[in-house]
Amino acid sequence: MRAVSNRSGIDAVDRDRLDELMRSAQAGDSVAYARLLAAIAPLIRRTIRRQRQLMPAADVEDIVQETLLSVHAVRATYDANRPFLPWLMAILRNRMVDGTRRYARLSAHEIAVDPLPETFADEDTNTMVERHDRAAVVRRAVRDLPKRQRVAVEMLKLQELSLKEAASASGMSISALKVAVHRGMKGLRARLRGEA
Amino acid sequence: MTQGTDDLIRRLAHSGAQVRPLASPSRRTLFWLAVSLPYVAAIVLLMSPRPGLIEKLSELRFQVEQLAALATAVSAAMASFCAIVPGRPRWPLLIPLLPLAVWLGSLGQGCIETWLAYGAEGLRLRPDLICFPAIAMVGAVPAAAMVVMLRRGAPLYPRATIALGALAAAALGNFGLRLFHTQDASLMVLVWQFGSVALMSALASRAGRRLINWQATVRKLGIPKTGGESTTYG
Repeated sequence: MRAVSNRSGIDAVDRDRLDELMRSAQAGDSVAYARLLAAIAPLIRRTIRRQRQLMPAADVEDIVQETLLSVHAVRATYDANRPFLPWLMAILRNRMVDGTRRYARLSAHEIAVDPLPETFADEDTNTMVERHDRAAVVRRAVRDLPKRQRVAVEMLKLQELSLKEAASASGMSISALKVAVHRGMKGLRARLRGEA
Repeated sequence: MTQGTDDLIRRLAHSGAQVRPLASPSRRTLFWLAVSLPYVAAIVLLMSPRPGLIEKLSELRFQVEQLAALATAVSAAMASFCAIVPGRPRWPLLIPLLPLAVWLGSLGQGCIETWLAYGAEGLRLRPDLICFPAIAMVGAVPAAAMVVMLRRGAPLYPRATIALGALAAAALGNFGLRLFHTQDASLMVLVWQFGSVALMSALASRAGRRLINWQATVRKLGIPKTGGESTTYG
């Protein structure tokens, strides 16, 4: 007979399984770790949605990722003799408070406006600007770049990391990053002109 | 939208090497004391222990205040190490209030006794500005060791955690100070020494979020968030 579910919607069997997976993950078992993260991601998402019902999906996903990164960063603090879920939920609550605070701060500085009218009726006069403005077009162009250039552009231009941080995160040298981002931006310009 | 999260999970799992679990708060407190006490002893010897220290150690009030300062240091260290472990109860964060109350009570009682014996004249406050830098000097290594150790944990309550860590280091600093600084008037100790400890703890609390925070903890990983509209670090 399965144990009664608790508020998190996880029953005792699953809780024991999570404890076991976390213990294995701490011991360096990457398969167990992948299973654990895959199991807790929906749980985290569900908890945020339940407690922050008005939060946009993108912000919910943002907190899910921040929580996963936090779990990864402080996984050494998990005590194998204690249950995993309270440990996870303490991190999640903490990250939710941060996320909500940031969301509220950003919302306070944003003003909803109606789409601006076109300045000219002729479609050709607006086509290029509109296309370049569309984040999807830029994202696709970045995605189509060769891998090293894409990584360099994403880290240095989109995430605005320093060269040192990007080098540490990507494993590329600083000079290689400089070359890659230069070529990447050149490639992006060419692709976006082509789109236009 | 969850595609980015799935990518992140793959990358986290890939970089999930074996980690050494953090020791329990009590073991970490012992380790912190093992690092800090020899330094405090070295400073006391370097500054020369106060004259008549042996006789002073046999005085009940001095014993109570020194033991209370030491107990404050130990319990505050333990509390700060508890504060960085997710899922632990929060009540241990209040334990340092007990020895702190004993310490403050003993100093307060000393002030009242002096007032009863000598009147307002006995409670004259003179400047003793050396206390703050001296406590900072004796508490420097304990404080540095504390910050290094706290950064290995989860920054759940940065301000309270750092305030407790600073209280531990400053209380230990004051414990050492009284072994070489000949100032025993209760009001002077209360204002200049206990006051310095309280001030250091309050100032450290203000710097809590700068010293330990999730952004820095996650940035150390070098793994950015992925997917969706956002591609920034946590």
